[in-house]
Amino acid sequence: MFEVLIFATLNGLVTGLLLFMLASGLTLIFSMMGVLNFAHASFYMLGAYFAYSISLYTGFWPALILAPVLVGVLGALIERYGLRRVHKSGHVAELVFTFGLAFLIEETVQFFWGRATKDYRSPDILDFPLFTLFGQNFPAYKAFMIFISIAIFIALYFVLTRTRIGIIIQAAITHPHTVGNLGHNVPMIFMAVFGVGTGLAGLAGVIAGPVLTTFPGMAVVLGSIVFVIVVIGGLGSLAGALVASLLIGLLQSYAIASDVGMPDLLNWLGVSFERDHPLNDIWRLTLPQIAPILPYLLLVLVLIFRPSGLFGKRES
Amino acid sequence: MFKYAVWIIFALALLLLPQVFSSLLGISILSQMTIAIVFALSYNMLLGQGGMLSFGHAVYFGLGGFMAVHALLGIEEGDYFFSVTLIPLVGGLFGLLAAIFIGSFSTHKAGTVFAMISLGVGELIAASSLILVSFFGGEAGVSGDRTYGPTFFGYDFAQHLEVYYLAAAWMFVATLAMYLFTQTPAGRMANAVRDNPERAEFIGYSARRVRLISFVMAGFFAGIAGGLFAVNYEILTEQNLNAATSGNVLLMAYIGGLGFFIGPIVGAVVLTLVNSVLSHYTDLWMLYLGIMFVLTVMFLPSGLTGFLMMHRTPWHLGKMHLLVKPYILTAIPGAVFALSLLAMVEMAHSFETELVFLGATLNSDGIMSWTLLMAIALVAYVALRRSLPRLREAWAQANAIDRGDQS
Amino acid sequence: MSLLQLQGLSKQFGNTKIIRDVNLEIKQGEKHAIIGPNGAGKSTLFHLISGRYSVSAGSIMFKGTPIHNRKPFEIARLGLARSFQVTNIFPLLSVFENVRCALLWSMDYRYSFWQLLGKAKALNTRTEELLEEIGLHLRRNLPAGELAYAEQRALELGIAIASGAEMILLDEPVAGMSHTEAKNAVALINKVTAGKTLIMVEHDMSIVFDMADRISVLVYGEIIASDVPSKIRGNARVQEAYLGEVVQEGDDA
Repeated sequence: MFEVLIFATLNGLVTGLLLFMLASGLTLIFSMMGVLNFAHASFYMLGAYFAYSISLYTGFWPALILAPVLVGVLGALIERYGLRRVHKSGHVAELVFTFGLAFLIEETVQFFWGRATKDYRSPDILDFPLFTLFGQNFPAYKAFMIFISIAIFIALYFVLTRTRIGIIIQAAITHPHTVGNLGHNVPMIFMAVFGVGTGLAGLAGVIAGPVLTTFPGMAVVLGSIVFVIVVIGGLGSLAGALVASLLIGLLQSYAIASDVGMPDLLNWLGVSFERDHPLNDIWRLTLPQIAPILPYLLLVLVLIFRPSGLFGKRES
Repeated sequence: MFKYAVWIIFALALLLLPQVFSSLLGISILSQMTIAIVFALSYNMLLGQGGMLSFGHAVYFGLGGFMAVHALLGIEEGDYFFSVTLIPLVGGLFGLLAAIFIGSFSTHKAGTVFAMISLGVGELIAASSLILVSFFGGEAGVSGDRTYGPTFFGYDFAQHLEVYYLAAAWMFVATLAMYLFTQTPAGRMANAVRDNPERAEFIGYSARRVRLISFVMAGFFAGIAGGLFAVNYEILTEQNLNAATSGNVLLMAYIGGLGFFIGPIVGAVVLTLVNSVLSHYTDLWMLYLGIMFVLTVMFLPSGLTGFLMMHRTPWHLGKMHLLVKPYILTAIPGAVFALSLLAMVEMAHSFETELVFLGATLNSDGIMSWTLLMAIALVAYVALRRSLPRLREAWAQANAIDRGDQS
Repeated sequence: MSLLQLQGLSKQFGNTKIIRDVNLEIKQGEKHAIIGPNGAGKSTLFHLISGRYSVSAGSIMFKGTPIHNRKPFEIARLGLARSFQVTNIFPLLSVFENVRCALLWSMDYRYSFWQLLGKAKALNTRTEELLEEIGLHLRRNLPAGELAYAEQRALELGIAIASGAEMILLDEPVAGMSHTEAKNAVALINKVTAGKTLIMVEHDMSIVFDMADRISVLVYGEIIASDVPSKIRGNARVQEAYLGEVVQEGDDA
């Protein structure tokens, strides 16, 4: 029981930090530009695929640096030539654009790389168990993922709060016009933030690809969860996104690890149902089964009862 | 008078089209279109008319459809005895119920919150559909048979043509109903709430109530579309509830044009054609669909109908002729450019070395084909860029009101 | 008979007090102007009365019923209408539709989805009448967003008075207008608000002193004076806080 808890917690941490890498970029973009980037997880996917292709020539480590940069540059270009143009047509058009973009990126990936899962592997140097507890291995690669995630966040925090450009970005997030009037090139800042946000997503893809498998559906799998996180944490709050990411990561991890289900609950209550009772499907539900839909359930509940999320600012 | 004429022509077209496109494929596509039209129009009640962007509209389509299939099974097994012609209504009513329930908590706000809730609910229900096997049938879905129950004037709907006429009749009624809704207080206030929810409140209307009404109506008509789907295909699966279907109807409404009532009709027709016809010619049709979608959002945000309607002023001013030559000078290089790119994409994708594209045989291994295409693309692109200023000028002229003599 | 009563009204955002303990009584049929320097809280006061903001303390009574913290649509239905400082119309709807929508509730159409507005004779006739009154009948089919600024302000006014509300709140109705446009606007306001109770926020002193039966002066969220125009003119506190040197004895437009 104890070892299940430890591994579930560690796995939850890995997932949670990964989700935060995605959610932080999304939050930055939303705070600054007011648009929820539906294609955010698609950049995650691109990161994985770019890294895969690059690693075929150069191995894992150069890919780790190059791929996120490529994704970030692509993101910046999309902002400059795509999103900025759509901005004039209004809020709905922006959302629809990013939605269409997600679709387009998925199809493009399939065009270039095909539909099969790619054999994108973690580097051999990290291919050993970091420690073994009660017979279960914890791969070093996962520890590496945790390490990289935390390192990136520290760097991000440092840049945002201690450097000049970071302070300008913080200001531009809430008062773009004022910042513009002070002589800063706000459109350039937008482009940069979008690029960095998508680059972060790409980085998440680079390190998650080997673990979560690299296939054309990987954006869809993670995409919705990232929105859930951003909403639960509160649209526009980085701290909220962090808390929500870890929460969801751990929650899912525990749900999958435990084998508890409705039957256990019903047994405990001393209730049982016949085999072909129409709602039998519900009574036979186990936690691992509903683990994938837990985030959505949480999303809907939060949006109903506390639309501003845990830490978010009220909708204007 | 003009208004009635439009509906009469519409009804006549519905009656006569299957005579023109009488092949099995033709009728199948026509049936598909009728279903898509009802679905897309119901979606536009939310988006174009109500300003509510939903990513989960397939839920009402799917739920209505599933209930309809169960009703079909009920008729087949003799539990119920009513005509198959009423099945779409079953779908509609179930869609209505679902919309009342879900609308009760999702219509408090429009905007991003609404979109997110719709996404969450959509995913929730789609995921649940694989778990609740007794109603949704799991991966295989639920199938039925439409040929049971009392016949309708002797028709048992075994024939595809009969099903088409049933669907067309329902579509006509549904379209008329949805159109008339836009002329009612609830329909007009939906527009007002879309434009300015705050001001709508200050003139005495609860924005939330107005949205809820639109939402419930949209769910009803989406359920009817689902019911029509059930009668036509006799099977519903999880796919009919999922995000892809929700995305598809968004596409239809957007490409057609959100700002006009017939927009979604145009979008539904175009997209049904694209989905069914294009897929025969190329594997990459979904990629092209994606490109088309993004390009539409970027360059034609008011959709195809919006684009056509932009020509109202030149039309009224009698200046359309000014645009003919510039359009040709832009369209031809544009088309050549697009087609040459298309050819290159197809060549890159195909596994055969020889590819037939528009009657010409291309060799994807040969340098000749590639250089030729690239040269064509380049020339076309240059011609396209060159023609744009002239088009802009012609457009300005065509829209300018002659002031006559002003001394 | 007092139509509107503000008692001990306060509003704060976080720790910032915007409205401090305001007491005000508006009588039926009165034309009341609220003046004050920028940032004094005039718009906030309107937002409190019309239901856009909730109160932090105190009460607002309209026709004897408490309306503070009620939803805007409830307050509107009781007979209180307002216009906005920044034009707040329905830009995609035609001018005709803008006015017609404003009439719907007062003519009992509620949320009907079975009545066709094309056939609603009384409604359409009244809409035409209103359009004539505000001088926009020639622009009836234009999308409201395409009107010129002064026309939009006229439409803004039209929407506010359409429902036949007894009390109208006008928030800087002539802001941004040229002298001629403002003159016409004032004539229009006088025409359409005849017999109604009017509260107006305005900066143009000539208009204020011309139209108002009583004036209240709002400074830093407090009413420092509330009286007939002549008394306000001579009030030293008011002069010091707001009018400055603009008004001297014997000065007149």
